[in-house]
Amino acid sequence: MLRKNGGRNQLRANLIFIAIGIVLFLVSNRVDELRVYQGATVAVYVVAISSIILLTGYSGQISLGHGALMAVGGYAAVLSRNDWHAPVWLSFVVAVLAAALFGAILGVAAGRLSGPYLAGTTLALAVGLPSLANQFSVLGGEQGLNYDVGQPPLSLGQDFTQYHWYFWIAGLAALVMTWLVHNVLGSRYGRNWRAARSNPTAAALAGIHIGRSKILAFTISAGIAGLAGALLAMTLSLVTPSAFPLALSFAIVTGAVLAGVTLLTGSIVGAVVLVAIPELTDALATHLGGSERVTANLPGLMMSALLIVSVLFFPNGPRLFRR
Amino acid sequence: MFGLRRTRRAVLASATLAAGALALTVLPAQAFNAHTEVGVSATQIKLGITIPLTGIAAPGYNKIPSAMNAYFNYVNDNGGVYGRKISLVVKDDAYLPTQAVNKTNELILKDKVFAVVGALGTANNIAVARSVNLGRRGIPSLFVNTGYSGFANTKAYPSTFALFPSYIMEAKIMGQYLKENFAGKKLGLIYQDDDFGSDALAGFKQAGVKFDVSVPYASGSQSAQTAQGWVGKLKSAGAEVVVMFGVTTASGAALATSAALGYKAQWILGSVGGDATTLKAVGVPPYVLTGAIGASFLPAPTDTSDEYISFFQGINAKYNGGVTFDNNVLVGMNTAMMTVEALRAAGSNPTRAKLISALETKGSSFASASLSPIGYAKGVHVGYTGYWFGQYNSAGELKPVGGAYSVYTTDSGTGAIVKSTYKRPALPTNGLPSN
Amino acid sequence: MERFINTILIGISGGSIYGLMALALVLVWRSTRVVNFAQAGQAILSTYIGYVVISHTNNYWLAFPVAVISGALIGALVDILLIRIMVKRAHQGPVAAIAPVIATLGLLGLIRAVVGLIWGGDLRQFKLPVTNHGFTFGHTTIPFAPINLLIVVITFLVMLIFALIFQRTNLGLALRASAYQPEIARLSGIRVDLTRTIGWAFAGSAGAIAGILVTPTNYLAPNSLDLLLVSGFVAAVIGGLESLVGAAVGGLILGIGLAFVLEYVSSSLAFPAAFMVLIAVLLVKPAGLIGSKRSRNA
Repeated sequence: MLRKNGGRNQLRANLIFIAIGIVLFLVSNRVDELRVYQGATVAVYVVAISSIILLTGYSGQISLGHGALMAVGGYAAVLSRNDWHAPVWLSFVVAVLAAALFGAILGVAAGRLSGPYLAGTTLALAVGLPSLANQFSVLGGEQGLNYDVGQPPLSLGQDFTQYHWYFWIAGLAALVMTWLVHNVLGSRYGRNWRAARSNPTAAALAGIHIGRSKILAFTISAGIAGLAGALLAMTLSLVTPSAFPLALSFAIVTGAVLAGVTLLTGSIVGAVVLVAIPELTDALATHLGGSERVTANLPGLMMSALLIVSVLFFPNGPRLFRR
Repeated sequence: MFGLRRTRRAVLASATLAAGALALTVLPAQAFNAHTEVGVSATQIKLGITIPLTGIAAPGYNKIPSAMNAYFNYVNDNGGVYGRKISLVVKDDAYLPTQAVNKTNELILKDKVFAVVGALGTANNIAVARSVNLGRRGIPSLFVNTGYSGFANTKAYPSTFALFPSYIMEAKIMGQYLKENFAGKKLGLIYQDDDFGSDALAGFKQAGVKFDVSVPYASGSQSAQTAQGWVGKLKSAGAEVVVMFGVTTASGAALATSAALGYKAQWILGSVGGDATTLKAVGVPPYVLTGAIGASFLPAPTDTSDEYISFFQGINAKYNGGVTFDNNVLVGMNTAMMTVEALRAAGSNPTRAKLISALETKGSSFASASLSPIGYAKGVHVGYTGYWFGQYNSAGELKPVGGAYSVYTTDSGTGAIVKSTYKRPALPTNGLPSN
Repeated sequence: MERFINTILIGISGGSIYGLMALALVLVWRSTRVVNFAQAGQAILSTYIGYVVISHTNNYWLAFPVAVISGALIGALVDILLIRIMVKRAHQGPVAAIAPVIATLGLLGLIRAVVGLIWGGDLRQFKLPVTNHGFTFGHTTIPFAPINLLIVVITFLVMLIFALIFQRTNLGLALRASAYQPEIARLSGIRVDLTRTIGWAFAGSAGAIAGILVTPTNYLAPNSLDLLLVSGFVAAVIGGLESLVGAAVGGLILGIGLAFVLEYVSSSLAFPAAFMVLIAVLLVKPAGLIGSKRSRNA
């Protein structure tokens, strides 16, 4: 009975994913280029936020350094494409694997840590890692490396711009990754993580190896972040240390928390909010006749205020999205 | 802990916010303008610039956009360009390539500017050219504020116009100066470790100058602490003459730290990091700067006997709140004046293509404050080609070595260094171009 | 040899600042079990307040106490307005346990944005209270200047004052008791909430001192203390995160270590090096070089 029900749910979820794909495809042809570009950014954030949701919402670990893991993915994708001439999809796979490997190593250290230690260590990572690129000339320094996913195929027509192309690739990658994460979370591993998060002692008694379970979660989360990094590099056509600032790590945590960190569907809401806030504050600042100072700081102000309000009042996500 | 009602209200609020955000994201952008070219309407020409207004590289450069706006406002008050007023959208890129790409995307997709003018930074402009691909889209990027030699390559950057002499030219001319004046001395070099610096290295190599010690620094890493490392290296190598090829905050850190460490050397400052006002503002004691050598392609901003300088100083007083008139203000106003000439040259119905071709065909005759000739021609996007050397006096003014400006010109290749005989066009009447 | 001694001197001066930031983090950690990432924000706000005093009076020694007192007030306010609520809810739901950490992160962003709105993003320079011209012996000038000496001396005094408060006063006893056994402390009549607020105020003032001491040798911008936060955290972890002495020693170890990397390896390796130190300490001796042997999973 239970099993059958699960099967139907699975089918429904698959249909929803396909439907979202079709809607996105149709919408992308009818909106302004700016919206398409923002759509691509939303897709990048969706992937990045789902990595945090898996890590924090399910496994109960906190990372302030996922921007650094995105950097690992971004650089891996670029190097594999530039040096080995890997096709785009393969460079994405390389990004996932490289970041996951890095995450696994970090996870071994992180598995022994919790809360504050993990948060501080990942914070240090976010600050320190991107600047390593300045140390090795193969990484191109502050100027970064070019990342060319190529022009859209001519069969898509003359009006099909590069931004549409980015959106399609990022959107497809985000859909596939979300579908995979959805399935992982619904699997035995997802249940183990939640059990270990809610009651470590009981979970350990039930035979779950807490440390290993946490390391696995960190590794998978890092891999997802790696894909987000590769997608980000694609929308920028380059990787540089400055593409992965501390603010990026903070933004994706904010996006995850805003949308209710325990549910995957929240990733879309979080991502849209992250892209919409600068847009809204820009409009607001222009309306107020604001100076550069206002335009530059209003998004940060609003995002941080929202972050505080949401952890203060909905630490487990808004009821609306909660299961 | 908190009532159900409060929860519900908050949920409603966050849902409304999300819905609002969604609505905003799918709203159509402003209706397409019936005019012929993006960014040009019957009454306005919209231009954009990315430049560091905040962050480690910002001091000094953040004065450029308001200086440009001051001159544009003066032109707008006098009828604009063929009746259209110029408006400049300014975006802060914090001297970060990624940020420059994002902001240029905004300029083009959201603000829909006609052209980009005066975008600053070597790495930033390279990133923007690759990523936003201005060239393939035919969007002009005029008078980029960098001397990277690559921007003159019209195959790689077909819509980009270099204005400043290249860093290769600067290093070649400086190399000759070193050989003539400091032969036999121990030479040191501090340079920014990116294409800005690699251009300089190429130029010094071309000039046959070998440094006894060279210190690269990563862009953005300059601080009093890191500068201790630079000065330590120079000191232990015994460098007597030090060439500084970095942004102003880096030369500021180098000068201030060597003062603190009691390290004395003959400093030679590249044009990028040699603005005296900014150096003082970032904490360089004036006595350290006194006697240092500087290179420039514009007249000294303190030289009121120059007609361009005195005119721009008048604009600065009236339209720019009378800020300290330094090299950055001068660069901003000079760029703005050349922009107006370029827009006029593109005719009363300007298009992006017309703008590019007008610069190629007429650009070399534009009136500009520079003491160096302008190299624009069909397929050639090289701007200025020459430098003069000066020495800072105790008031921080750069005074020409030998009393009068003597400009030397060269190219970014193997060409010789020659003393220029260029006669600069006179300032247009009232500083308003009539080309 | 001269270079070696110089490097140690630079390291001691830098390490003092790290030690102060570590002290601020340790004080909060002991009282609340939260690593306060907003510490960098609180410190930068206090330093800007000090900057306002300096730009009006041109007097560093007036700005110093103003910044320290502001730091204490800001710390107390953060605890009263935000942390008190979070701590009480710390057991509701799966994510609530890490919510305070995320809240301090949000607060860091909030304070930075507010500072940016008020003072803008331009770099500002402090007037030096004493010269940064290195001490001169005969014909050699060393990189250690009166300003560095001042930093070391003030740090030492601050540490001494905190040590006296903690070891010799009733307040110190209350602070220690509420940190280790809040329930028992409450039963024995200690006002745990108030004590915690005092802990936050002390931490805020320590962070402010770090900010106002380091800024004259550097510059002031809304994010100019972010790296200090990381160094402070690393120093605190080296010292075991629990111990005030550990914070000071951790700061010195990190400061001297980084000075050697900067001087002998590469000037751009500072932060990767700090990170390596952190990972090494966590893997080899997770309780810190000085800390107790307690598990890190507290």
